[in-house]
Amino acid sequence: MKKSKISIIIALAVICFAGAAFLQQTKITVKGSDTLVILAQRWAEIYMKQHPEVSIQVTGGGSGVGIAALINGTTDIANASRPIKKSEIEKLKSRYNTLGVEIPCAKDGITVYLHESNPVKELSLQQLSDIYKAKITNWKEVGGVDAKITLYGRENSSGTYVYFKENVVRADYAASCQTLPGTAAVVNAVKKDPNGIGYGGAAYAEGVLHCKVKKADGSTAYLPTAENIAKGMYPITRYLYMYMRNRPTGDLKKYIDWILSPEGQKVVTGVGYFPVK
Amino acid sequence: MKHSCNNMQTNLSLQKMVFCKIDLKIISIAIAVLTMCSFYGQSQMTDDQVQEQLKTHEGKIDALDERVLLNEGDLAKLSKIKLSGYIQAQYSHYQEGTDPLNTFYIRRARVKFTYKATDGVKFVLQPDFSTGSLSIKDAYAVVNIPRLNGITLWAGQFNRPNYEVEYSSSQREVLERSKVIRSIYPGEREIGIKLEYIPDAFPLKLQLAMLNGNFTGKEAKDVDKKKDIMARATYSFDLPDAGIGIDLGAHGYFGSLVSQTMYISDYEGRLDSMSANIGSFYDKQWFGGEMQVFFDFLGGMSLKGEYIMGKNATAGDSRSNPFKTRNFSGYYAYFIKNIGKKNQFAVRYDHYDPNTDLSGNDAAKEVSYNTLTVAWQYYLNENIRISLNYDKPWNETNATVTEDKKDNVLGVRVQAKF
Repeated sequence: MKKSKISIIIALAVICFAGAAFLQQTKITVKGSDTLVILAQRWAEIYMKQHPEVSIQVTGGGSGVGIAALINGTTDIANASRPIKKSEIEKLKSRYNTLGVEIPCAKDGITVYLHESNPVKELSLQQLSDIYKAKITNWKEVGGVDAKITLYGRENSSGTYVYFKENVVRADYAASCQTLPGTAAVVNAVKKDPNGIGYGGAAYAEGVLHCKVKKADGSTAYLPTAENIAKGMYPITRYLYMYMRNRPTGDLKKYIDWILSPEGQKVVTGVGYFPVK
Repeated sequence: MKHSCNNMQTNLSLQKMVFCKIDLKIISIAIAVLTMCSFYGQSQMTDDQVQEQLKTHEGKIDALDERVLLNEGDLAKLSKIKLSGYIQAQYSHYQEGTDPLNTFYIRRARVKFTYKATDGVKFVLQPDFSTGSLSIKDAYAVVNIPRLNGITLWAGQFNRPNYEVEYSSSQREVLERSKVIRSIYPGEREIGIKLEYIPDAFPLKLQLAMLNGNFTGKEAKDVDKKKDIMARATYSFDLPDAGIGIDLGAHGYFGSLVSQTMYISDYEGRLDSMSANIGSFYDKQWFGGEMQVFFDFLGGMSLKGEYIMGKNATAGDSRSNPFKTRNFSGYYAYFIKNIGKKNQFAVRYDHYDPNTDLSGNDAAKEVSYNTLTVAWQYYLNENIRISLNYDKPWNETNATVTEDKKDNVLGVRVQAKF
């Protein structure tokens, strides 16, 4: 009798543990780029509907914040709108003894925002560089009205800040550039300021003028449309990335594979970015 | 990295405060307009009164504007300062020969202030408040050289350009640096200037420094007119599909030290006591080769090593403690394995021979050392790390040093980093 009671208790314990393990959700945390946050949330919503056993938590904060979280172990995936920096790879090496894993997951055209009343409709990369270096400080120098240019940009934790600095400004930003937390804030500032100029992801640009951009003075200027970005005509086109500490395995790998699948890449187009495949 | 997050959170909350003020401004305007409308609707105020009220509110709004601008100015200054640091509380148990045989102490307590004046200009100040000492570890400025993309100029007191020296004590997998590095780079830092080139297009890093060359960790004052030169180059190869990264590098030290005593002990330990020796310069020249291999295998692992050899000169002051010139060699090799996200195992073997020209009984007290260090790290969270470390050194024995010294050390360290 005593033996059978013990057997029942053991059987119940095994069932409880097995049930707990079965019910346990896999949790994936995603942190980083504000440019990618809308897309990452959409991916997570769709994937969680299809896979209720997986819980995905998505937060923004900027590419630098995401990569910092990856290094200190508080996120599984860091979203970034710029490639990882050498100094960040060094930190991954020293903490985890790996180089990290980079996965390009979408393409984006950085849009230059102007106020809707601004008569300037196009700028070259050189003019943009000179404007953000404060070498050009008045709109009349680029065919606009006689008014001082107000510069709006992102904080230095933003991948968009870093990408625009390294690929367009190609020098340090002017000290007069006002830094704002998030692309939505930049769009909002330009919307209210007739002399303002800002930059950010195409998915956010509502209520502002999209400036055409040309590679050089004699080149054709292009708008950041899907077609122009897909064909490589728009000059400020970049990849958006996901970073991990190690090569993904298990549920994390399944999620990454789904993002890169035709179904996951269809979501990219729906949100306003451009697929990598 | 955490400090930058904290800093950003602070900035965000400060920015929220500013936005709250802006909201207050909008609310004030709205209240003013509603009040005007209400008065107008009731036709109880004349136009002059309305104008007067408007002026009053405009004045108040202008005052509010000024306050917001002042706050924005203060906020901009604050966002340029970053604060980070770490505290290492340690328990050490010595095998023999120290009194007391075990002790608690603060190994390092550092606060790092970084002020980013503008894009490309940074100032760093890092004091250390360890048990029994207060010292400045870092005090330097870094400037991006205009038009020379990737080149920075460092000026002040900073780490000497060497892999183990520059590898932060808060990250290192064993409690202390290897014996050869502690011997040739005492105090790790130096005072001088340094050019650093990190190109965007190549995985290359070049460092060239001009230094006083007399930093001992306790003494920072220069004692001679000649300056020492250090150079280091590293190149990284990545095989991303295999999850492997290899860093190769070399560094050289080209300097000298002036003798302030007439007593010079040469490479073979012979004593020279000519008065002309005072003020003479003696070479400090060595070369090192280094390699680090990182492999994304079952959570990550690495192999790291460096070999250094050359001639060194160390200061003296008397016949019993003469100025010494010596040929030396040393190396270290690490194996590090991450176990899951929170644990890490490390083994290091290091060797240091302070006088390669003498061995056996001729070496007298200048015997070589081999040390095996075994360590385990547990990362409790992103801020706290607990380390268990055991050092087992073996010294060469001869007629003067007749047995292996009982100098094994067991250490437990709790590190809080912010």
